[in-house]
Amino acid sequence: MDAWLPLIFLVVMGLAMLAYVVLDGYDLGVGILLRRAEDRHKDTLIASIGPFWDANETWLVLGVGILLTAFPRAHGVILGALYLPVALMLVGLILRGVAFDFRVKARAAHKPLWDRAFWAGSLLAAWSQGYMLGMWIVGFERNWATVAFALFIGAALAAGYALLGAGWLIARTEGELQRRAVTWARGALLLTAMGIAAVSIATPLVSESVSARWFAWPRMALLMPIPLATAYLFVRAYSALRTLPRPQDQGRWIPFACAVGIFMLAFAGLVYSAYPYLVMDRITIWDAASAPESLRVILYGALVTLPAIVIYTVISYRVFRGKATELRYY
Amino acid sequence: MDALILARVQFAANISFHILFPTISIALTWVLLYFKWRHARSADPRWMAAYRFWVKIFALTFAMGVVSGITMSFQFGTNWPGYMEKVGNVAGPLLAYEVLTAFFLEATFLGIMLFGTGRVSDRVHTLATLLVAIGTTLSAFWILALNSWMHTPAGHELVDGVVHARDWGQVVFNPSFPYRLSHMLVASGLTVAFLVSGLSAYRWLRGETTGDAALTLRMGVRLAALLIPLQIFLGDLHGLNTLEHQPAKIAAMEAVWHTGRGVPLVLFAIPDTEARSNRFEIAIPKGASLVLRHDPEAEIAGLDQFEGRHPPVAPLFFGFRLMVGMGMLMLLVSWLGAWKLRGKREPPRWLAHALVAMSFSGWIATLAGWYVTEIGRQPWLVTGILATADAASTVPAASIGLSLAMYLALYAALLTAYVSVLFYLARHPAVAKSPPVPTSAPLTGMS
Repeated sequence: MDAWLPLIFLVVMGLAMLAYVVLDGYDLGVGILLRRAEDRHKDTLIASIGPFWDANETWLVLGVGILLTAFPRAHGVILGALYLPVALMLVGLILRGVAFDFRVKARAAHKPLWDRAFWAGSLLAAWSQGYMLGMWIVGFERNWATVAFALFIGAALAAGYALLGAGWLIARTEGELQRRAVTWARGALLLTAMGIAAVSIATPLVSESVSARWFAWPRMALLMPIPLATAYLFVRAYSALRTLPRPQDQGRWIPFACAVGIFMLAFAGLVYSAYPYLVMDRITIWDAASAPESLRVILYGALVTLPAIVIYTVISYRVFRGKATELRYY
Repeated sequence: MDALILARVQFAANISFHILFPTISIALTWVLLYFKWRHARSADPRWMAAYRFWVKIFALTFAMGVVSGITMSFQFGTNWPGYMEKVGNVAGPLLAYEVLTAFFLEATFLGIMLFGTGRVSDRVHTLATLLVAIGTTLSAFWILALNSWMHTPAGHELVDGVVHARDWGQVVFNPSFPYRLSHMLVASGLTVAFLVSGLSAYRWLRGETTGDAALTLRMGVRLAALLIPLQIFLGDLHGLNTLEHQPAKIAAMEAVWHTGRGVPLVLFAIPDTEARSNRFEIAIPKGASLVLRHDPEAEIAGLDQFEGRHPPVAPLFFGFRLMVGMGMLMLLVSWLGAWKLRGKREPPRWLAHALVAMSFSGWIATLAGWYVTEIGRQPWLVTGILATADAASTVPAASIGLSLAMYLALYAALLTAYVSVLFYLARHPAVAKSPPVPTSAPLTGMS
């Protein structure tokens, strides 16, 4: 089993990161959209993510925790190279997390200030995550072209999160706010599509090994479902957004589901491009893994706790199902 | 300044900021459960009012702890890459277990605890609150296991210069762990006891003499009066344990420069590292021997036995005195308070003012204590295994400096906001007890 441990941990880490991107993605997205919302809608926007954001963010701690504990060497290289964007992301997450509580507890005159902190923190966190993704794709090589590329990915990820957030709001709100969310989703969908197209074109250009993986026959044919399915989801979301909201609120989950699907496919594409490298073309999962006996100890713990975590996460979402309403402390 | 100093300052700043909030939230969840329990038993609405007031402070505190904790999870790796390389096989699983067993539990059920009203039964809500309390305490369990292991490593072996765990029971329950864990949990209890009585006294002084503030004032003082002797007892045990395993730390805390018998207890002095002696010393003869060995003629190892490999003396000496001094003040105020409040007596105004002044005394004592124990481990990051200097970051000093400036500015702003919001809520209990996220456009319930 020892030989399989790095691979198992790569899968667990990948799932944790994917869970993070989708789950915290929608609440960061709602934060990014806060700025576009009318004052009277802001409380509902925030109420829709209130019970979840904290647990959503925990997936990041798990993902980075696995990187740190299972692949310590890669962790050092990756986070060392990304030191400043990581710091910016953390500042963003801190601002966002505390603004959530301060905005309703501080004096009313300060509320707009905390709302702005909430928006800025969400955007900063999303943008720096995208920037980090971009730098990771280019193997942390820094010149004006790679930095521009990474900054662009930052914008694309922020747009992707906004799409998730708008999809979430369409499903979880009603009335005027829901109609506005549909408009936001249309804009975000366009930006996300441009972002994903650009990443797909640029990634093989900046990395030869990536291009070798994708553009070789017959692999290319086998891989075609990924871009085709992505394109289908974009079209599906686009057509749904043209008619939403519908009577009886039918199809209210379609944009969110499409956005989640798009993120999963993009994630699959990235994993395929990079595997088995944790640092592009330099460090593989086998180079970076820690001692098998420690990995086994973590794995046993994860096998017991992760199913429990999934179960109580589902319970929590069931408790708060339905339209977002006034959040009331007990 | 070099990267080592900056990495240490930055890590110290982050972890000092972070520890303030778990110190409150660990014990505050149990106090909230107590409020619920009292309400269930007595049906006295004031206990529910107390719950509603303090749950808001809890939510805010918890959020501050979560976001500053995420920062920590990144900085373990970024600031101390040598740490994970050398002891990752022990530190990794302990940190992973904290995330898997504690973080998800508390974060998920926090949602139900804070916002579950009307959606779950009261019983389920109490269960959610209990799970959050268990989560915060479990989190303290794992992180203190790791921290204690760094002070008194056990259950491991070194293979090719890298630590491998051999016996997880010994790793977790290493020699200093039971003392450190209990000392910290009681510190959390004391911090909350003084925060609760302090803010309640503030409200009482502002005219809330009959509602929940009067109730929680009394409860906070009594909790403090109960916990402080326990804490002094645990602190003494912890000190004896340190004497056994980290004698250099004790020698620095007590500023004992020379090994000898019948060593005096230094009450005040200015330790002089150059001269390796104390200036302006005021001491109780044979006091240190008596306190540390419980025998006035016992021998105490001085700093001369650890020359070149002992921690800096002045911060330990003064930090320890600050913590103990704060403890004595806590003893005085809480016992006097408990006496003055006996039966159904009203608090005298001077007592209420003293309690307001002591609102954050727990923070001061906790920080001072942590500085003593952590600086006291120097020059080691992991005693006998890894020197702090060998674990430091290779990140350019400029990057660390820049991010440090950013964090410091942010932390100063947030700390100011946190403390002022606490007092703002205390001044506006109506705000504090109203729903926090009212929607202006009325929305229907569950669809």
